[in-house]
Amino acid sequence: MFKKFSLEEVSSQNQVKASVQRRIRQSIQEEYPGLETVLEDLLPKKSPLVVVKCPNHLTLVVVNNVPLFFCIRDGPYMPTLRLLHQYPNIMKRFQVDRGAIKFVFSGANIMCPGLTSPGGVLDEEVDTERPVAIYAEGKQHALAIGFTKMSAKDIKSINKGIGVDNMHYLNDGLWKMERLD
Amino acid sequence: MAEKLEPAKVLYCGVCSLPAEYCEFGPDFGRCKPWLIDNAPDLYPDLLKEANEKATDNVSDKLQSVGISSGGADAATSSSQTGTSKKEEVKRLPGGKLKKKERQEVIIEKVVRNKRKCITIVKGLEQFGIKLSDASKKLGKKFATGASVVKGPTEKEQIDVQGDIIYDIVEFITDTWPDVPERSIFFIEDGKKVQAG
Repeated sequence: MFKKFSLEEVSSQNQVKASVQRRIRQSIQEEYPGLETVLEDLLPKKSPLVVVKCPNHLTLVVVNNVPLFFCIRDGPYMPTLRLLHQYPNIMKRFQVDRGAIKFVFSGANIMCPGLTSPGGVLDEEVDTERPVAIYAEGKQHALAIGFTKMSAKDIKSINKGIGVDNMHYLNDGLWKMERLD
Repeated sequence: MAEKLEPAKVLYCGVCSLPAEYCEFGPDFGRCKPWLIDNAPDLYPDLLKEANEKATDNVSDKLQSVGISSGGADAATSSSQTGTSKKEEVKRLPGGKLKKKERQEVIIEKVVRNKRKCITIVKGLEQFGIKLSDASKKLGKKFATGASVVKGPTEKEQIDVQGDIIYDIVEFITDTWPDVPERSIFFIEDGKKVQAG
């Protein structure tokens, strides 16, 4: 998703009005109740929230020149991997087996067999069309952030095809851009 | 349950910027290795073992070779010293920084510009202490074509000469700048084929 992403890809940067800011905060709060306590620090009411628009209907939520969340079209807001590493428990986890790691690193989507094989872990409660954090077998930190294409139960039963879309992975364009300036 | 979530501290590799455990999937594990040995030895315990083995191999090789040739205790101790100091030097440089591979050579490459027009790229002349602006002027004058100094993708600069001049260029370089030995000139033919001159 962010395979090629650099400052040139940004089509517009706008500081948003307080009403829009409130709306963004609210949706992030609903999506990630775990972040409630720290939300004040991450998205302070006073600090200017900048929304960056990029091609492919991609919006980034940027505070103090650091991108924190992104969303596609009007989908759910997803945290950047750097943020997720700091607060690992806000999202549901899926785990892929070791062999899939290098494919995910080049942006490949996650296929069902990678999650149902012995190295993989599925969180049964996860529905379809939800953001999840992807972890790797034997690693402590998140590898990627994905958007489920099938619910966990379907992944287990059907076991064919794309299970999770790979939205943001380690060392992609968005990861490399720690600051936007 | 209203405690504040504390952000977790993640050790990111200084070389590839990934979390340290993912370095093996990063772009260049070789460069990360020395950084990892210093900063995160517990994550890759085999790296430490590897490094130690290599060190002992190097030193024992040096000792052996010197012992055979001169057979003096002095020589042996001095070689072991140089062996370890060399290793230390080598270790200190790539502790995060790139190890410079300084090989004095001139590389000549032919690049096609249009279907029948091409340019000859001369790289590496500056390593012999040759001023590139002077060199490009001389080249252009001699071959009656345009020659310019161009900045490559890295900080390295190269000379672009219009037209295909690889046939004469070797002779010209060795004549004009006798410091340049003929054997250090290489053509590029589908990957650095050591076509010396």
